[in-house]
Amino acid sequence: MRKYAPGLAALAAASMALAGCGGTSQAKQPGSEAIAGEVSLQTWSLTPKFTDYLNDVIKGFEAKYPGTKVKLVDQPGDGYSEKVLTQAGSGTLPDVVNLPPDFALPLARQDMLLDVSAVDDTLHDTYVAGGLSAFEYKGLNGTWGFPWYLNTDVNYWNTGKLNANGLDGKNPPKTTDELFEQARILHDKSGGQEYLLSRKPGVDDFTRAGIAILAEDGKSVVFNTDGAAALLDKYRDAYKNGYMPPTVLNNDYLGNSKLFTEGKVAWTTGGGNSIPSFEKDNPSLEGKVVATPSLDLPPLYVQGLAVSSKSKNRPAAVALAKWVTNAENQGKFAHLVNIFPSTKSSASDPYFSMSDGTPASDAKVLAFKGLETAGNLQPYEINGAMSDILSQQIALAIKGDVSSKQALDDAAEKINLMLSRG
Amino acid sequence: MKSHRWFTPWALVLPALIWLFVFSIWPTLNTIRLSFTNTKPLGGGDFVGFRNFVDLFKDEQLGYALLNSAIYMVVCLPLLTIGPLLIAILIQKKLPGITFFRTAFYTPVIASAVVVGLMWTWLLDDRGLINNMASSLGFIQGPLPFLTDRWLVLFSAISLTVWKGLGYYMIIYVSALGNVPKELHEAAAVDGASVVRRFFNVTLPSLRNTIVLVSILVSVSALRVFSELYILTGSKGGPGGQDMSVVMLIQQYARGFYGDLGYASALSIVLFVVTIVPMLVLVRINRKANDQ
Repeated sequence: MRKYAPGLAALAAASMALAGCGGTSQAKQPGSEAIAGEVSLQTWSLTPKFTDYLNDVIKGFEAKYPGTKVKLVDQPGDGYSEKVLTQAGSGTLPDVVNLPPDFALPLARQDMLLDVSAVDDTLHDTYVAGGLSAFEYKGLNGTWGFPWYLNTDVNYWNTGKLNANGLDGKNPPKTTDELFEQARILHDKSGGQEYLLSRKPGVDDFTRAGIAILAEDGKSVVFNTDGAAALLDKYRDAYKNGYMPPTVLNNDYLGNSKLFTEGKVAWTTGGGNSIPSFEKDNPSLEGKVVATPSLDLPPLYVQGLAVSSKSKNRPAAVALAKWVTNAENQGKFAHLVNIFPSTKSSASDPYFSMSDGTPASDAKVLAFKGLETAGNLQPYEINGAMSDILSQQIALAIKGDVSSKQALDDAAEKINLMLSRG
Repeated sequence: MKSHRWFTPWALVLPALIWLFVFSIWPTLNTIRLSFTNTKPLGGGDFVGFRNFVDLFKDEQLGYALLNSAIYMVVCLPLLTIGPLLIAILIQKKLPGITFFRTAFYTPVIASAVVVGLMWTWLLDDRGLINNMASSLGFIQGPLPFLTDRWLVLFSAISLTVWKGLGYYMIIYVSALGNVPKELHEAAAVDGASVVRRFFNVTLPSLRNTIVLVSILVSVSALRVFSELYILTGSKGGPGGQDMSVVMLIQQYARGFYGDLGYASALSIVLFVVTIVPMLVLVRINRKANDQ
């Protein structure tokens, strides 16, 4: 028997290698292979601020799985999508990579990510449904990343401006209709000097208003409805009456938050940790900013850890992704910075649900409660170029150059053409 | 007398040829190939015939972009060909404090396009310096929509380009003016030619090749404008995308995971053709003038 041993071992090794080359067969269970060897972890703009935290997490992993070595690579905030795109194109995607769901979708479509539901049958017991569903896409069967940290938006109001212009800072708008009405009062009472509204609507506003964005098959957009046109008409009238700054037509993502920080507008949305930033950047806002829950459906922002399907050390990669996203490590992270864990068991941590009475802490608790109802407001199929086209047409409608319905029809036509190109 | 082997000249030009092939010829050929495909950054690549070019005709934004580029070139060409020449002649004079003006004209050139764009955004904002001044002096009742009106955005961007380009082209003229023989000016002066006459009969003919060079540079950069419009419109190309340039359009379609590289390549070919035509016209005009 001994003389056949090398041959049998070689055959076994070859079989394992073939199984490993199976690409997307992905049927292995964690624990069936030894967790050892080097594994790379790519994070997105977390160092140097969270270097100590990441090192602690890595040290814990290496201690739990002796023989493992984690190579941490943190990429800068700017140009991350291009970086990941280059890595994916050149086949050098790290074993475990920090991806938001919209970055993960194109990689999943190209079989570059591991379907983590095939290697972890405890996903739904461990992570909240919203976090998991963010990595489940129309037309793809599977879950393409472990949810990591979550966030959502709450409303922030400059009570100084509200109180000075005939409004009640303790009772800011609770619905979209109230928002438009109070925008009018603020504008009129301030002699046209103050603004409440400072952003034009987008896909997320259509979703909040109950308007479907994509057709069931995900191959065309269907937002060009009378309901969406009516919503745009409200913004058009507000713009015409001067309730929004004219440059809102050009705004970028941080537009209204920037104007709010500069004290130019009285309302913005932002994550649960925004008050200290507002006050740091503009000390005159100190004590004037209060937070209230999102007007309608809050947005859910999800970060995740995906595992490369081409990882040469899949068992360790899966174990590492699970380790970083486990309740304990996410909990520690959420105590350092105002994000929320995607693990179900973290919900019982009073740190998230109890306020210490400060406005910043109130905002954090509001955001945490908002997560219960938060959802993805923008389908991941709507990419940056499509959003730009919609934004351009919405600006045209708000400016009054074309009717709202016409603008939506034009945007839908162009986006459908782009979707048809695949 | 042959002092080198046959391959010596080839060996000397080989690095340049490799550079040219890798960074110019191959990318150009590849762009042409891509324009007939549905290539995406992470897939696609199937041959689709002329579909991308047919789609170009349906894209009204391309119409806006081509019109913007044409206007940009028509306005910038005379301003940035003649203006820097006049400034170059002016700053050659040895006048008290002229160093300050030389520095002042050149400063915009070394400033980052992004920083300059942001500065101009603050100037032109509805509550920016220009609107505030015009309003406080009683010239306007409400703010002028420099950053949201289709034409005002375009002409604001053109102003920015001209302001930033004056110093750059001025330097080219300054160096060319240094090569104009002084003897010609002196001889013309002895013959009684006035300053204006000397400018037209001595300076301008001596600078003709430089003027053609500047015209070509101005035309090409005007047709390929990006930063100014991108920053002034907050990257979105203004309402309806009417203030996009062709380069912005290429960037819009080519970027990110979903970049439509086939369509963006077709747009690049359109830009190439649009850019090369005025260049050829200017070269031909210059050649004719030389022949005469």
